[in-house]
Order: sequence, then C-alpha cells, then structure tokens
Amino acid sequence: MASNGQAEKVAEVEENVGDNGDTVTPWDVQSKSDKGIDYDKLIERFGCQRISDDLIQRIEKVIGQPVHPLLKRGIFFSHRDLEFILAQKEAGKPFYLYTGRGPSSESMHLGHLIPFVFTKWLQDAFDVPLVIQLTDDEKFLWKNLTIKETMKLAKENAKDIIACGFDLNKTFIFSNFRYIGQSPEFYQNIQLVAKNVTFNQAKGCFGFTESDSIGKIHFPSIEAAPSFSSSFPFIFGEDSNIPCLIPCAIDQDPFFRMTRDVAPRVGLHKPALIHSVFFPALQGAQSKMSASDETSAIFLTDTPEQIRTKITKYAFSGGQSTAEAQREKGANCEIDVTYQYLRFFYDDDEKLQEIKKDYTSGKLLTGELKKILIEHLQKMVADIQERRKKVTDETVDEFMKPRPLSYKY
Amino acid sequence: MLYMYCSERVYEENVHTTHHIQYITFFDKSSYCDYQQCASLKLKCYISSHGISRVGRLGKYTLQNIKSKEIINMTNTETAQNGGASALPGMEEQLENMRVSGDGAPSEEDEDIVNPWTVCGKSDAGIDYDKLIKRFGCEKITPELVERLERITGKPAHPLLKRGIFFSHRDLKFILDRKEAGKPFYLYTGRGPSSHAMHLGHLVPFMFTKWLQEAFDVPLVIQLTDDEKFLWKNLTVEEAQKCAVENAKDIIACGFDKEKTFIFADFSYIGQCPAFYQNIALISRSITFNQAKGCFGFGDSDCIGKIHFPSIEAAPCFATSFPHIFKKRKDIPCLIPCAIDQDPYFRMTRDVSPKLGFHKPALMHSSFFPALQGAKTKMSASDENSAIFLTDTANQIKKKINKYAFSGGQTTVEEHRALGGNCDVDISYQYLRFFYEDDEKLAQIKEDYTSGKLLTGELKAILIAELQKLVAEIQLRRATVTDGVVEEFMTPRALKYNF
Repeated sequence: MASNGQAEKVAEVEENVGDNGDTVTPWDVQSKSDKGIDYDKLIERFGCQRISDDLIQRIEKVIGQPVHPLLKRGIFFSHRDLEFILAQKEAGKPFYLYTGRGPSSESMHLGHLIPFVFTKWLQDAFDVPLVIQLTDDEKFLWKNLTIKETMKLAKENAKDIIACGFDLNKTFIFSNFRYIGQSPEFYQNIQLVAKNVTFNQAKGCFGFTESDSIGKIHFPSIEAAPSFSSSFPFIFGEDSNIPCLIPCAIDQDPFFRMTRDVAPRVGLHKPALIHSVFFPALQGAQSKMSASDETSAIFLTDTPEQIRTKITKYAFSGGQSTAEAQREKGANCEIDVTYQYLRFFYDDDEKLQEIKKDYTSGKLLTGELKKILIEHLQKMVADIQERRKKVTDETVDEFMKPRPLSYKY
Repeated sequence: MLYMYCSERVYEENVHTTHHIQYITFFDKSSYCDYQQCASLKLKCYISSHGISRVGRLGKYTLQNIKSKEIINMTNTETAQNGGASALPGMEEQLENMRVSGDGAPSEEDEDIVNPWTVCGKSDAGIDYDKLIKRFGCEKITPELVERLERITGKPAHPLLKRGIFFSHRDLKFILDRKEAGKPFYLYTGRGPSSHAMHLGHLVPFMFTKWLQEAFDVPLVIQLTDDEKFLWKNLTVEEAQKCAVENAKDIIACGFDKEKTFIFADFSYIGQCPAFYQNIALISRSITFNQAKGCFGFGDSDCIGKIHFPSIEAAPCFATSFPHIFKKRKDIPCLIPCAIDQDPYFRMTRDVSPKLGFHKPALMHSSFFPALQGAKTKMSASDENSAIFLTDTANQIKKKINKYAFSGGQTTVEEHRALGGNCDVDISYQYLRFFYEDDEKLAQIKEDYTSGKLLTGELKAILIAELQKLVAEIQLRRATVTDGVVEEFMTPRALKYNF
C-alpha cells in the first residue's frame, strides 16, 4: 500500500492488459469474465488504494453528514491521496474538484451521469469550486469528426451536465478548443507537463504506438493540466498551487498516474483521485456502456417507452429462465444488470437491501425487479429532461465564461 | 536507418487516375547519424508488402508507370532546373516528393549535416548547397526567376537574392503568379528566442523579409517559438517568454512596419486565439510519430512536447490561424523566407496542407551565415566568439573580426601579393557578400583580394567599418523600442490590409 510520501513509479513499459485478461485504458475497457472487471486485481495493478470503512467514517465526520450511496455501496471504491484532501479540509485549507467528459455523442447516457452525480454531491458536501473539462480536442484527434462538430457536441453535453444541477457560482465548465485559446496559463501548464513525459512513458501508460498521430501522443498533457490550479488564474489567482480531487471512472487513472509523477518535479501538488467502477452495459458487466452502441445504454434523451423497452429487452438477467426455477433457486444479483443499476441509482438503502434479499431468495421475480428499476429510471430521466429544457445556450455561455467563482483566495 | 513513408492519400488518388505512380518519400537519416541502411533493400520490402509490381526511383533511376508499363526517364537536374520535362501532369509536384537515396548514395563522410538543431559542413568551403538541394528536393533560384521577380516588383533584387545567398525555393513561381494576378499572399518567418542577443546570422532572414515586405507590400507574421525553447532547453516558462520579448525588440529594430507586421510568441498567442490552437490540432492529427521521427529524428526518450512541436511551427502557414488579419479567408498562401535548416518543418507541412484543404506554403531558403571561425559551421548564439552580436560595441566588432575571422589570405604580405587570397573560404569577404550593398565595389574587392592587391588587414578594415555602421544603426533603432512598442506589434489586430 503506497503511503503519501512514497513515490509512485510510472512504469516505463506497462501492460494495459492484466494477467487476468482485463483491458483497461481510457479508450478501451473489456473483461473476459461475465462478472466484469476484477477490481481488486486492478487496484493492485494500478497501485491505488481501496476506500475502507474507516475512511468513509472519517469523511462523514469531516463533512458532518452521511456519505452518498455511491460511496457507501462501493461504487466509488478506490482512491489516491483522499486522506490528504480530508486533512486539507480538516485544517481549513482549500482544495477544488476537477472532472470531465469526452463529448463523443449528442446525448449522454446513464453511465456518464455517475461521476457528475457524485461530483455534485462532493461539491455540496465540501463546498469547493469545481472545474469540468470537455475534451473536444480529444474526440477530434481520435474520431473522424471536424473541429466544429466536436465543439458542438461539447456544448450539447455541457447542457446535460448543467442539468445535473451544478451551481453557476461554484462551477467552471470549459471545452479545450475554446479555453486553450483563452488562457495562456492553461497552455503553459500543458507544455509544462508535456516537457516532463517521454514518449516511452506515454507508451507505457496509454499504449501509444509509432503510428499514432503526434496529436494523440501529446494529448495526455492536456487532460493533466487542469490538475494544476494555476491553469485557472481567474478563479484561484496567479501562480496558485491548490490541490485538486478528481472523481472519475477508473479507466481515466492513467492520465493522473502520469500527472502525479510529473507534479512533484515541477513543484506542484499531486492530484488526488477517487475512482468509480464501470457502469455496466445493458448486456452485461463484461463491457462498459458505450455511447456508440444504441442498445447498450439508456440515454438521457430516451422516452419512458424506450426505457421500458430497453430494460425489458436488453438488461441482462441474473434470474432463472422460468418463474418456478426462480422461486426455487433465486437469482444471482452480482451479474444481474437490473439489480446493479439499482445499486447505482436507488437511494433508499433499506429498501434496496430488501430487494436484494428477495431477489436472491427467489421471492422477487425478474419482471418485478425490472419494473422497479424502470419506474425509478423513468422518473429520474424525466426530471433531468425537465431541468435540461431550461438550460439555454446562454446558460452554457455563462458556465463557460472564464470568471471568478464565489470563493476568495 | 532509412525512414520512409508513403503519401498514402496521394497514392489513393492516383489509383483512380490513369497514372498509377507510387509516391514514396524517403527521409534519409544521414543528417543525424550513421548512414547505414541500403535503400534498395527497404524499397524491396516496401514494394512487396504493398503489392507493387515495378519500381520507381529518381536520380539516376527511372520511373515506371505501373499501369501502362511505360518507362519515364527523369533526373533530378531536369526537374529542378527545367521545371520538369514531364509527360505527366503534376509530375513536378509529385517528383518533389520523390526522394530516394539509393545504392549510389554518398557515404557518410561526404554528407553535410543539416537539420533544425545541427548544421555541420564537411569541407572548409562549407555546406555543398547543390547537393543539399538535390537531397531536400527543392529548386535552385535561377537568374531567370530573379529577373521575373524584378519585373513583377518593379525593383532591383536585393543583393541577398542576386548574390545567391537566398538560393533555393519551393513554389516561388506560384507566389509570383499570384502577385501578377493581383491575388494576395503573406509572409511568414520566425525565430527561436534565445537568452542571448541576436547575432548577424539571425539578421539575414529578417533583413530579407523586410525587403520582401516592401517589394510586395504584403502582411507579415513572425513567430517567436518560446515554447520550443522551453521544451528543448533548461528554461522556465517565464524565462522563455522574457527571451521572446527581448528578441522581439531586436526584430522590430530591423525596421518592420507596424501596420503590416504581426509578431507573436506561442506562449501568449496560443492562449489568445482559439483558431491557432485548432489549426495546431488539425495538423497534429495528420502527422504520425513515424513521420515526425523521419523528419526530425525524434526518439522514444523524447518528451511528448517535443514530438508534438512541429505542428506548432506549421500552423502559421495557414491563414486561418490569424482571423484578426485574414478574417475567414482560407485560401491565402504564405511565403516563408528562412534558413535551409528549417526546411524539414515545411516539407512536412507541404505534405499535410493539401489533405487539409490549404495551399502548400512556398519557401525561399538562405544559405548559412558562416561562423567567424570558418564556413564549416553556422553562427551560434551560445558561442561568444563565433558571432558578431547586435549588442557588440564598435570595438568588440573590430576585435572579433581582426582576431577570429578566418582568413583566406596568405600568411605573409609578400606571399599574399604574389598568390592572392581565396575569397571562397575567407570569412571577411563572405560577410561582405551578405552586407555590402554596392555590387560594383564588391566585385572590385573580390578581384583585388584574389589577385593579392588587397591585403587581409585592409579587407577586414572595410568589413569592420561596414558592420560597425550596420550594428550602430540597429542599436539606435533598438533604443527606441520600448515594452509598449513590443506590445503594439504583438497585439492581435487587423493590419492595414482588407480581406
């Protein structure tokens, strides 16, 4: 277990595929087993730490409220330097939140929502500023899109994100293609990172090869730069060094492993991280939800009917094939996608426990379980769509304007 | 190792035309290290893996049209000088891309090393520029071309051009065509700002660019690559930025017109203009690590900043990088006056431009300003005694020329009167070629020095006087360039041209 003082070595050549056949990179997540990714092995491989019950208790003490279900249920399950952030908070010292999204499609899906739901909770619980990076340049470099197209996607996605309920006075949203051209400090930090990462290291971290474009190879420095508060002088003042906490899905870890290696060499705080597991695709936990595969995901633009159809038709069942078999043997909650979705979104702990018990014992049938989820998701998505309607282009512009937030430094 | 890549898009296009010619560009790495690999072996591997039935080669080789199996004999000299005696349309352009160092290639001992970070000649007379033109695939600037330029601009050509110091080009004709047709173009040049003052060698492209700007009356953008210096040297961001501002003052002291000139430093400008970064991304998406490696010799232990940097030096070739000057115009080409060691950046850009819907940048290359110690190297800001700096006093100039300028004269006065001096290797004479404007007088000096009539000391005295005057003028102008003036030049704004 790495302690705060120990240097984390960024392996020169690293395998992106673990010996159990799990592939986890920012652009590709696949598991060979039907249970999905083996997170214990992944933690070991990546060198991060599991969030223990003690740590959760400490968080609750610091923020004076119970933690979010996503944390309690171990969906946010691993971290780097979270203790350091808690110590900052306890000492009354500042930190900020940083998360992001690669805007690859017009509509976000439920899996995309998770880090934003959790980040919003973190922002409220800790009362700290938040920066959200939309990596339109990443999508441009990786996909066959024009710059205009990626910038438009970024704007549309910003609306979905804002519809999660972020506070304008505490949140700065930016897209790279716009913001790099508005902030010399941001570009300077990008090159600061780029100077300190060799192609070998980038190869080890991300699996780049010699036939990759120089744009791709350079991109990690752009996702790293928002980890440094000096990238946002209008929020934090000039030349600041305020640490950040990054809630993200664990496939983003390589970017920040790399950043944590660079930070001490340039005299800046290492970013702290809190990782989530993947939101499974409807078809099962072997892959992650993908915006490019219609039937693998519930989109925030889906109608109640579409939600019902998708869950009914595609959600992988851990139940038995007949009602009788079900009553007798019960279901496997671990691989049941419907149950897993409830773990992500169903707030009531007690009721969820009951559902688990009943489904495992066979008392609850698959159809009935699915009904519970369908209703819950329909309501949730409808609420978001309602809020989304109110988000205009002007609202987006306000969130995306470089400006001071309601914090003084 | 020889690196090669195929302009694949070009190949695809030509699959659909009647001319099935494989365009293969070889960037030979003899510039950087041991020239080892046999080209024909690589070529064979490439051919078999791509299913090509015949070989196309250039130089003392032949091109074969795969479809019709015709043999077309083409030599480098033909294309370079005659403008391409080609049976096939667009062959000239395609042949520019066709560079093969084959079995008959010169061995490493004969090769000059020329790349953006190292310039080293093999002989005392300096770089063999004719060989370099062949190797790089650019074209010599002929007397006819100079005459055409004079006709079009209505002015006599600058001595730097007339005397062949600016000696090679890419697509200069295209630029002249545009001028004749009343169509716009712009000038683009730049500098990697270093912590030292500029020296005379740095002055040359700026002097020439200023003349071009006046002769053609076109906008000019000047890039200060402070990010490049940051990535390559042990500097902080602030130090690199400060160098850029100081160097901007030297450049402005050359006499550029504020209404026609935009100077920018990457660390500031990228953060002021989204369109510039967008072009950088556009370009960086189109270049693989392999290609960058072939062009610049990058390796696995180079930082990702360096590997990405060529896209930043390429982006000013596209007018859309400067929306405040060119508005939405995408179709305005640029002409880049630069020393020939910068060519790799723009060879790479020229390959990428058509795929992105932009004109290829045109270029005019200068030969190197020799170091005081002799023409084997170029002047370097990091070596005090190799250069005359723009901050040198009149006395320092006198001392440096007298003490360090390599002499092509004889060791004693008697021998010199008898045998005469060798102007080709004499640094003082070479410097006069760069800066002494009067053609007739210079010809006289050459005659007299070669015959021995003029002594080395006398020659040096002429040069010293000339340089003292030049440097004093610049220092005077430099003294009037305040931080405020720099800011004016460096503010993104419309210039006096309407687009």
